[in-house]
Parts: sequence; structure tokens; C-alpha cells
Amino acid sequence: MPVVTLYWDELEELVGKSREEILKKLPMLGCDVERVEEDHVDVEFFPNRPDLYSVEGVARALKGFMDIEFGYIDYEVKKGNWKIYVDESVLRVRPRIVGCVVRNIRIDDRVLRSMIEVQEDLHWTIGRNRRKMAIGIHDLDKISFPLKYTAVSEEFSFVPLDFEEEMSVKEILERHPKGKEYRFILEKAEAYPMIIDSKGNAISFPPIINAELTRVTERTTNLFIDVTGFDENVDKALKILAAMFADRGGKLESVEIIYPNKREETPDMSPRVLEVKKSEIYSLLGFKLSDEEIKLALGRMRYGFEIGEEVVKVFIPPYRADIMHEWDVIEDIAIGYGYDRIQPTYPPTPGIGREHEWFKLRELIREIMIGLGFTEVITFTLTNEKAQYEFMRRRAEPWKDFVPVMHPLTEEHTIIRTDILPKLLEVLANNKHHAMPQKIFEVGDVVVNLKNRLRLAACVTHSKANFSEIRSYVQALMRELDLEWDVKESEDEAFIKGRRADIIVRGKKIGVFGEIHPEVLEKFDLSNPVAAFEIDLSEIFDTGYII
Amino acid sequence: MLTTIEAKLISVLEKGRLYTIDEASKLSGLSKDAVLKAAYLLQEKGYVKVHEKVWKEYELTDEGLKYLTEGLPEERLYEELLSGSKDISELERKLGKGELKIALGWLRRKGAIKIEDGVVKLVSKPEFKERAVLNEIYENRTAEVDEKLLKDLIRRKLVKEEEAKEILIKVVSKPEVELKEKIADLTPELLISGGWKGKEFLEYDIKIPAREVFTAKVHPYERIIRECRKIFLEMGFTEIKGHYVQSAFWNFDALFQPQDHPAREMQDTFYLDKYVDIDEELAYKVKETHENGWITGSKGWGGKWDINKARQLVLRTHTTAITIHYLAMNPEPPVKAFCIDRVYRREAIDATHLPEFDQLEGVVLDENVGFKDLLGLLREFFLKMGFEDVRFRPGYFPYTEPSVEPEVYVEGLGWIELGGAGIFRKEVTEPLGIKGKVLAWGLGIGRLAMLRLGMKDLRMLYNPDLGWLRNLPAIKR
Repeated sequence: MPVVTLYWDELEELVGKSREEILKKLPMLGCDVERVEEDHVDVEFFPNRPDLYSVEGVARALKGFMDIEFGYIDYEVKKGNWKIYVDESVLRVRPRIVGCVVRNIRIDDRVLRSMIEVQEDLHWTIGRNRRKMAIGIHDLDKISFPLKYTAVSEEFSFVPLDFEEEMSVKEILERHPKGKEYRFILEKAEAYPMIIDSKGNAISFPPIINAELTRVTERTTNLFIDVTGFDENVDKALKILAAMFADRGGKLESVEIIYPNKREETPDMSPRVLEVKKSEIYSLLGFKLSDEEIKLALGRMRYGFEIGEEVVKVFIPPYRADIMHEWDVIEDIAIGYGYDRIQPTYPPTPGIGREHEWFKLRELIREIMIGLGFTEVITFTLTNEKAQYEFMRRRAEPWKDFVPVMHPLTEEHTIIRTDILPKLLEVLANNKHHAMPQKIFEVGDVVVNLKNRLRLAACVTHSKANFSEIRSYVQALMRELDLEWDVKESEDEAFIKGRRADIIVRGKKIGVFGEIHPEVLEKFDLSNPVAAFEIDLSEIFDTGYII
Repeated sequence: MLTTIEAKLISVLEKGRLYTIDEASKLSGLSKDAVLKAAYLLQEKGYVKVHEKVWKEYELTDEGLKYLTEGLPEERLYEELLSGSKDISELERKLGKGELKIALGWLRRKGAIKIEDGVVKLVSKPEFKERAVLNEIYENRTAEVDEKLLKDLIRRKLVKEEEAKEILIKVVSKPEVELKEKIADLTPELLISGGWKGKEFLEYDIKIPAREVFTAKVHPYERIIRECRKIFLEMGFTEIKGHYVQSAFWNFDALFQPQDHPAREMQDTFYLDKYVDIDEELAYKVKETHENGWITGSKGWGGKWDINKARQLVLRTHTTAITIHYLAMNPEPPVKAFCIDRVYRREAIDATHLPEFDQLEGVVLDENVGFKDLLGLLREFFLKMGFEDVRFRPGYFPYTEPSVEPEVYVEGLGWIELGGAGIFRKEVTEPLGIKGKVLAWGLGIGRLAMLRLGMKDLRMLYNPDLGWLRNLPAIKR
């Protein structure tokens, strides 16, 4: 989630309240205050509120929330004489473009900085790392309209931002830092999107880089914004930027987009209208609000409204990209009303507490093992083939015996365990420096054939740990579980031959115990004998329904 | 009060006389160790004085013993020379090179010989006292002999010097009270014979720590999980359990997570290279909802929903994959269910991030419940967890609306965010046929454990250190 840096001087100036008052209200608006510094505050805003990724947007929301301003802001867009012709060729590559002109804007270093930050955050969230949407902001006075949005070959060249010489599209993708960073978006493209002005100058190569020609500086007073992409996400981003510059005092002018078969005028800063049923408000929040309270809450959250008998007509500001459903508005009503003012009540829903068999059995096993003097440990279920099989002198095949994880982060964690015992040996290896004897167990999950099974494994280690000791514990466990059992000479190579036994219940092998083979001990770097057992509880008990 | 051994010892010793440990041991019938221990205890009480006598003892070395029987090399050389002057080479053959060298040296020092042109000649008769000294040492281990001679012999490594010590006990006063024997160990014999009757028990120093033993115990983390389960069960929730491996459909799509959501990328989620079938009717409804909102009243995410992405298996990233599936199977209210179990995130390990951890989650499905009931549930739950002050901040989760982030007040730490909650969106419940509203909340148990156990590093939970486990109290104040 984007962390937005808000400078106090700017925020205090824009909101018109002190930082103390702002800090008190900010979290209740819906964000996490990460760090409060002398000159700034770092705030993490939620990914559904890209309109709050700039100081202007935050100030706008706060002014409503802190009762400095009320209700909907009507953003005026003057019809401009700016045209972009969309060429057929670009429709297959990156089909949508929208634009906006901002006049009389004062650009200082703070505005420049904030402009860059907000673009980055929007690229990341709405743009999904520029894939769905990419923004270009230009010095309007360096551009000759009308523009052409077209597709070019990789030979096409211009001077990209931060460079002095012309580079071809191919070179930019190979050498320019932004080209290298974002070329994955244009992988396998046959042609490349390009915005070219009437003099033939390229002004932007979306979604990669702008031209150096139109760089915005502190001397810039008029802006042209382009947003390219595929769907309505381009409109969302443009409206957020337009509102932001309008809040800074810029005058908005529309841009006409001429497609081969249609025309469009952007940005459309008119509100979207959503009808919210009052009954739905009461029902979702669980209590009744008066019309006055609804009005106050909506106005605080900067909505326009008309309250009717049963329905509230809500005017959604153009910069609100997140409102998909009437419940989204109702949440804002709750926030505007104040979460802290809502009286919590315990729900009347009846229910009888029921334990799941799986966990019930786990508790029982835990009780028995602790009674036998074993200490419980918990380990990761992520592990690797080496520790699970190779070190244990056991054989296993991927997919047949275990689940390999795609793109593991480390060599340590490449599979989900099918046995607990190797994890316990790792625990013993990490605890060699502690007093002997050590007796540990884990009762938990393994995954076999993509399904969880409940297992119990236990280990004893000290200088004289041996077969008969672990057999005593297995006997005790079986007695407690009221199981008739038998042993059979085991083939499990993890144990010493002649000192290993399969545990047989109702003719089925349910586990194994014995003295761990010295080669295994060596692999785990253990210097005391270990006697151990592992039992598959899912094999003998009903562990309940597993989703 | 005297202990049994003190009493036994002092009762057999006469006042004013010096006793060796051997003597005292014989007289009292106590072992030498016991005598020593009793003597020092008695000395502390002022009844006995313990003297340490230190002296030197001498012993012949192997070489000294040899010379005692064979004679010293210089003596043997002297005897050879009694029959006249002899060539060095001849003497070498008789005495050996080493011994001849020693013998020549000593006879020369005594002024008894002269060597001219390789011929040794006797000039006077020397005195030989060394052998007598060796003999005395051999017999008595003491030497009331010439210091200088003794030193020479020690330097010649014929005699070893050792320090000897003897401990002597002298009773300076006898206690007036009657000495009474005390019982040290209560034995079955004493119990059967009744021999303990009328006797007193030896009193121990109760301040001396005994050997450390450690209890076998439940893992502290499981103890916290146990507590959470108990709370849910008390509140009338049904416990549910799900497999670690789930389809992306249940983990993401059913929860209205858009397919291009960053959390679904390979960077954040462990995928498996395996695909399963999804119920077609269900898939259709979810697809419509994602693309255009279907009948939910939502706009949907737009774009295309791809069933193949939903079919891929993942290591579940949250227990919500299980609760939502459970609700889909039990869509009629009322339902109260909870799940506490392992989840996975593709995250590099550090003190506060683990690739797998445990999550707690509760859901309530009912017709006439709303946001204020969710807040009431949360307040009650945290109260039962021992957090008396709870407050609510707006939050965001893709599958809930409204969403809330509960915070609890912890002394010394302030307000701590503890999990998230909300009401499942209609885009989630309607395609699955869930009737009513679903109040849901969840939290990471690790966070709770850190607060409860005062831990700074989550890794300790899953990488057990027996020292930590053994020493961690069952109850933490």
C-alpha cells in the first residue's frame, strides 16, 4: 500500500488547521499513520483511495472531515480546442488515451515533487505497475496541437527524458533506465505507442517515458496531461490528477479525442449518481440514522446528495475511483458519522460452540505426550527435499510423494513437509547446547497428495537413548489411545536395521519407531543417539470434515 | 543443635588431646570425610579446633633407589681407581659414558682425582655421605641430615621433595547439652521399625538451591491458540478446518479479489503447478460479478475474468479461503464459525515476517445483523482476550465493506492495531448464494504472541529453543 509523505507546512496551509488537530483526525478518515516527523508525516493510505495519494487530495478530504468545507466540489472544465487523433495502428497495442489541459498553475519544487510521487503511486495501484494505465505530464507550451496517438516501429527515435541525444525505441528499451524497467509491458509488441505533435516531435512513448522536450520545470505555467491504457482506469487516473491540479488553482480545459469511429471529450468531471436505499443504510450499519445525520456524513465525505423518502441520491465526486456498489457509499456514511460514535452491540445470532475433531484429537495427544514428559515444539511446514528425504535416507518423488512449491524464495523452503520427524531432528540439532535428556514432540499437519493429515512425532535424545526407551513410550501412547497394535520389522532406512519397527493397527501400518540411523544423525549434525517415532493419526482416527 | 556426625565425633574425643583424622575415624566409626566435615562444623560452633600441620616429606626417585643398592657412580669409580690409575676409555667401557661423566664430575669436586693425558689418577680419599642419606630417606621418608647434601641429591634428581599435610583435631570445650542423634534420611527401615520415633530430624539448609528440573509443557504459542479457541467456543462458534492447499478460486476469486491484484502475483503467493476443476455454475456467477457486478448491484472490476487463473492451486494466503468455502456450503443463517490455522505468504524471513504463520478468523452469518454488531463482536472478543480498551478505525480489505481495523490499548505501547474486520461484500456473498450478512474478523496470532510473551522476534515461535521453552513461565505477568 502506498505510503504518502505529507509535508506539514503544505498540509497545514492547504487544510487551514494545525498539525495536532490534523493528526487527531487523520486515522479516523481511514489510513495508517506510519511516522510523524518534524517537517512531515508518512501516511499509508488504502489501495482503494488513490485520490488520497497527494497532499491536495488529503487536504480536500480533511477539509470535509474536519468541517471546514462541506459537500461536493464542482470542478469546472472549459471546453478547449485541443485535439488528439488516434491512429488505427495503435488500437491493437494500447487502445485508449485521454487528456486534459491545466492552465495557470504555479509550479514550485514542492509541486514538482508531489507530482512525481502521485504519478508513481497511481502507476503502481490503478496502473498495476503501468500495465493498465500510464501517465505523462507535459509543459503545454512546448507542444504544437493537434496531437497524433499512433504506433511506430522500433527504429523511431526522439530525445527521451533525462537524456541529451536521440535514441530509437529499441535503444530506449535496451538502455534507458525506464525502458529497462518497463519493457516487460511491451514484450512481443510489433509496434510501439507514440504521441507525436503537429511538428512531428514525439512528446511521449507510453507507458515508458516522456520526451525531454516537454519536461515540466518551475517555469512551466500550463500543463498537458495524457493517460494511456486499455479501459476506464485511464479515466480514473486523469480525473484524480485533474482534481488535484484544480485544487492547486489550475484551470481545467478539455481535450477532444478523435478515434477512427468515435469522438470523446475528456476529462468528464461530472459526478456519477448512485441511488442508495435508506433501508440498506440502516440494515448494513445496524442502526437508524436521521436524514440530517446522513446528510452531514455524506457532506463531510465530500459527496453531493438529495435525500428522498426512501432513497438518497448520492453524487459521487469524479476523483472517487473506488465506489463500485452502494455499500461503498454506506461505509463512507459510517466514516463520516464517525466509527467512534457507533454504539457496538453483541449480535443476537444463536450458536453452540463445537470443537472440530482434528483439534480435539490434537489436544488429547498433547495431554498424553506432556504426561510422558515430552515438551511440545512447533515448526514450519515449509521445508526441502534434502532434509525430508535425503538426510533421512528415504526416497521420494515430486508430486507422487510431495508438493513442490513454484518460485520458492529460498532453498530451505521448496516443499511442504510430508513427515514431521525430520523437523524434530532439526530442532534437536539447534538445541545441542541445552541440557540432556531432551524429549520433544509435535502434533500437527503434513500434506500428502495435496491433503492435510494429522501426525504425531516424538524424539528422545541423550547419551543412552535407545530402542527400548522409545518402545516404552509407544506402548504407553497405544495404551492411552486404547489401540490394539502389533509390530513388524520395518524397512525404514532412517532407523538402524534390527532396531526399527512398523506400528501395525488393524493390519495397517500407521507409524514407525526405533533408533535413528547414525548416518542420519551425522547429516543433521547430532552427536547423541536419538530414538523416535512418528504416527499418522488420520489413518486411525476420524479427524472430522476438512474443507 | 549438633548433627549426628558432630555428636558422634565429639562424644568420643577427649578434651585437650590432639587426634589425627585416622584416629578420630577409628574411634568414632565415621568415615574420614565425615570426620573432617563434622570437625569443621564443630569448629564453627566453637567446640573444636582444627589444626593443619604441614611438613616436608622426601622420597627416592627410581635413580636414587638404583644408586642406593648399586652405589653412586663416583663410589664405583673410586673403587675402580683403588687398583691404580686408569685410561678414560677403559673406564668408559666399565661404567658407561653417562655415569662416568657424573662420577668424574663429583670426584673432581671432592678433589679426589686428577686427569692427565686421558688417564685418571687418584690423589686423595674422599668422603661418601650420600648413600647414608639415601638410606635414611628410604627408611623414614624424613631427613635429619645435612641440608647441603640433601639439596645436592634433590638437584641430582635422586630424591623427590613433597609437601605433606596432616589435620589434627582438638576438642576445646564439650557442649553441655545432652547429645542427641538426629535422623538424616528417613528410610523404609526406620518407618517399619519405628526407629524414627522420639528422634529428631536433621535440619537442612533450606536456602541452598537444588538441581534444576524442567516441566514438559505445551508450547506457549499453543497456549495462546488454546485460549482463542476457548473464547470462540464459549461464544458459540463452530470450529472448522481446511487443507493448506486450496484453489486460487477459493483463496482469491470467491473473495472478489481482482485477478490482477498485486497480492495474487507470484511475488506474494506460493503457487503450485497444478490445476483443479471449478464448479461451472459457481464459476459463471463469480465471473459475471468480477466483470460487471452480475446481480449484486456492483459495477464489478471490469476486464476479463479467466477461469484458468482460478483453477490453479496455491498455499492458502489466509484462512478466509476456508471460512468463505464453509459459508458457501452452509449458506443459510444463522452460522457462527471460526478457524485458527496456518497460512502462507511468499515473504522473506525477518523478525516480523514469516513465510508461514497462524491466523485466527471468525464469521457470523445472519439476516438482521449490521456493522454495529460486528463492532460488538470485536469488543467482546478482545475483552475476553484481556484487552479492555478497544477502538475502531476505518480499514480496507478487498472483500469487506464496511471494513474496520480494531485497535487495543496496551500499557506502555499505546494503541496497537490487532487484525482486521468487516462485512463481506455482496460481490462475495451473492454469487455463492450466502443469504444474509457476514460479519468477519481475523488476526495474526503471532502479533498476539508478541504482545503476550513480550517477544521481539517471531522466528522463535517456529524455531524452538529448548532453553527459552524450559524457562518461559506458564503464566506471564
